[in-house]
Amino acid sequence: MAKLLAGAALMTIGATAGVMPARAQAPTGEPITIGAILSITGPVAGVGQPERDGVLLAERAVNEAGGIAGRPLKVQIEDDASNPDTAVSKANGLIRVSRIRALIGSSNLAATVAIGGLTDPIRLPHVALSGIGPAVEARRTCVMHLLAPQELNARAALTYARDALSAKRVGVLHDSGYGQAVANSLKAVAAEYGIELVQIEKFEIGATDVSAQAAKVKAAGPQAVIVVASSATPFRNVHDLRMGVPVIASIASSSYEYVRAMGEAAEGVVFAEFLVAEDPLPHQADFVRRFQAAYGRLPKNYEAAGFDAVNLIAKVMAEAGANADNAAICTALRKPFQGVLARYDFSAPDMTGIKLTSFTYSQVRGGRFERLAFRPQ
Amino acid sequence: MTHTSLRMLALAACLAVGLALPFVAPLPLVDRLVFAAIYGIAGLGVGLLLGQCGILNLAQALFYGIGAYATAYASVELGWPPAAGFAAGLAVSGALAFAIGWPTLRLNGYFLALATLALGIAGHELFFEWDWLTGGTFGIGGIPPIRLAGLPFNTPETFYYIAWAVFLAALFLARNLIASRNGLAMQAMRDAPDAAAVLGIDMHRLKAKMFVVSAMLGAVAGSLFAHYVGFVSVQSFGVERSIQFLLIPVVGGARSLVGMAVGAIFIALVPELLSHFGEIHHVLFGLALVAVVIICPDGIAGLWQGLRARIAAPRTAEASTKEPNHAA
Repeated sequence: MAKLLAGAALMTIGATAGVMPARAQAPTGEPITIGAILSITGPVAGVGQPERDGVLLAERAVNEAGGIAGRPLKVQIEDDASNPDTAVSKANGLIRVSRIRALIGSSNLAATVAIGGLTDPIRLPHVALSGIGPAVEARRTCVMHLLAPQELNARAALTYARDALSAKRVGVLHDSGYGQAVANSLKAVAAEYGIELVQIEKFEIGATDVSAQAAKVKAAGPQAVIVVASSATPFRNVHDLRMGVPVIASIASSSYEYVRAMGEAAEGVVFAEFLVAEDPLPHQADFVRRFQAAYGRLPKNYEAAGFDAVNLIAKVMAEAGANADNAAICTALRKPFQGVLARYDFSAPDMTGIKLTSFTYSQVRGGRFERLAFRPQ
Repeated sequence: MTHTSLRMLALAACLAVGLALPFVAPLPLVDRLVFAAIYGIAGLGVGLLLGQCGILNLAQALFYGIGAYATAYASVELGWPPAAGFAAGLAVSGALAFAIGWPTLRLNGYFLALATLALGIAGHELFFEWDWLTGGTFGIGGIPPIRLAGLPFNTPETFYYIAWAVFLAALFLARNLIASRNGLAMQAMRDAPDAAAVLGIDMHRLKAKMFVVSAMLGAVAGSLFAHYVGFVSVQSFGVERSIQFLLIPVVGGARSLVGMAVGAIFIALVPELLSHFGEIHHVLFGLALVAVVIICPDGIAGLWQGLRARIAAPRTAEASTKEPNHAA
């Protein structure tokens, strides 16, 4: 019943979509298939599942608005189980068997790097749901990244620590995936902000207890703690240790599921992110309304990233022509795009174009995100 | 038709089907079969230790990782050809297995199993921490495919032949090893250690040798994996991968080489088949494993051998009852 209601709601909102033509003709002909490799199970499922919801919402919205050049869009979703090996196998299948026209994913950085090794040689348009990672990604000019580069994530957290908290001594707790990338950047740029990283502690993705690492951070006497992880665990451990200092979190742990899993530990945590669904920016309001109507809950950043990925590909393919070759679509992708998450410029060297001013800051109060007045300079 | 002729015929049929598979099977199946061969090589190392020496090895992912990283580093950072990467992996894993195995293999039973588990965890931590060498979580990408006579083996269909050729060669060598003097010594050590000691078998030395062989098989599998996937990261070499390798002889049958091939196919294919059931597929795979272990405690090969024995038993009884009449 819930699915029926969601479908009915989607039909309604699809017809009144702001960016798509209303009363569009139903798409006909052979579907244009794009692939999406998402981490729906495994340690990064907390990211992959919201992304899947955003992808499916966008697929329906595109089709209800007439499809791509009159042809229906089909998104074939595959689960990589948060594992790069599986992601490569799935990508092989999507490219060779399903003959996809573009690929979205993956939800985790290592899998994204792995599948980029398949998409890049054949110039298959690839929209990654992560920020640009290791050096090899800089050479992959047909892989667009929908999230901020890791250095920008680091700068967003440090800017808040310095300007809003006046902190000079900061501790860092991070996981071994995305967290590692941000931590590397934190080490590289902290001095520019006059901040000393008094203790940096790493733990493995999916760790269920990081008390030992959190205790070391506490022992170093930081004035604030930056947590970069796709997990609720470090927040609970920091809370249990009663550190009594502000906690700054990254986008990786900003989902409602993680916040619920944090329990009391979520209270007061500040997130450097992009979408505060309780108080959306004007260009985000329509997406939030659509998502809430479809799923009966508010979206966060990863739902928006999934939605943006499909819309970006659909828009570019419609402009380049449904039969345009890979190289033409890749070229067409490299230009500005107004997404829900941010305003992108894929012609920028980081293939994202997100700026520090694109970040917004929120604080959890009573299980809800409240937009903070703080603006990064 | 004699029993030997039937076996040869069955073998030829299996070979023909195997050779034709990449042309007729869907690509995802061929891909999983490539992984079956790669995992099978590493699982064979674990199976030889378990089935022939009675040693439970939970550190195989460490040697698998060494092979993968050696190949990745040699080909990407140093620009060496694939053969040099394979050789580096074999040398490093063999030397490390000897250095670690010599003192560790004095332990027995659960203590030895726990020691190998600790070794596997320590190895994973080192892969994780030494990101200057391994790339940590981001791994090492851009590993070139194996080329033979200028042809790249960069698709599941082409790599299938390399992976299965290596796996079959490893099975053949393992068969010879089991039938050799060392193999008989291993079986004596496994079944009657006191008697083996009385016979003058240096059990510690034999265990260390087998541990090195097992590690080198793990390294070969790791090198093949690196060339096939083109990317290696620490996520592929955790303890769960060692458990996966251990499951191959457990499911297939630790004392049967054919069983290990069956176990490898089971481990590589069943999770993929079950993934169509959605997020519950991990639970279903766990249940499938429990079912296999309960129904076939000696592995799938053990079940088959049991069935053959049951079929053969009445015939033998019938023959023996007829014998006195002939004599009369």
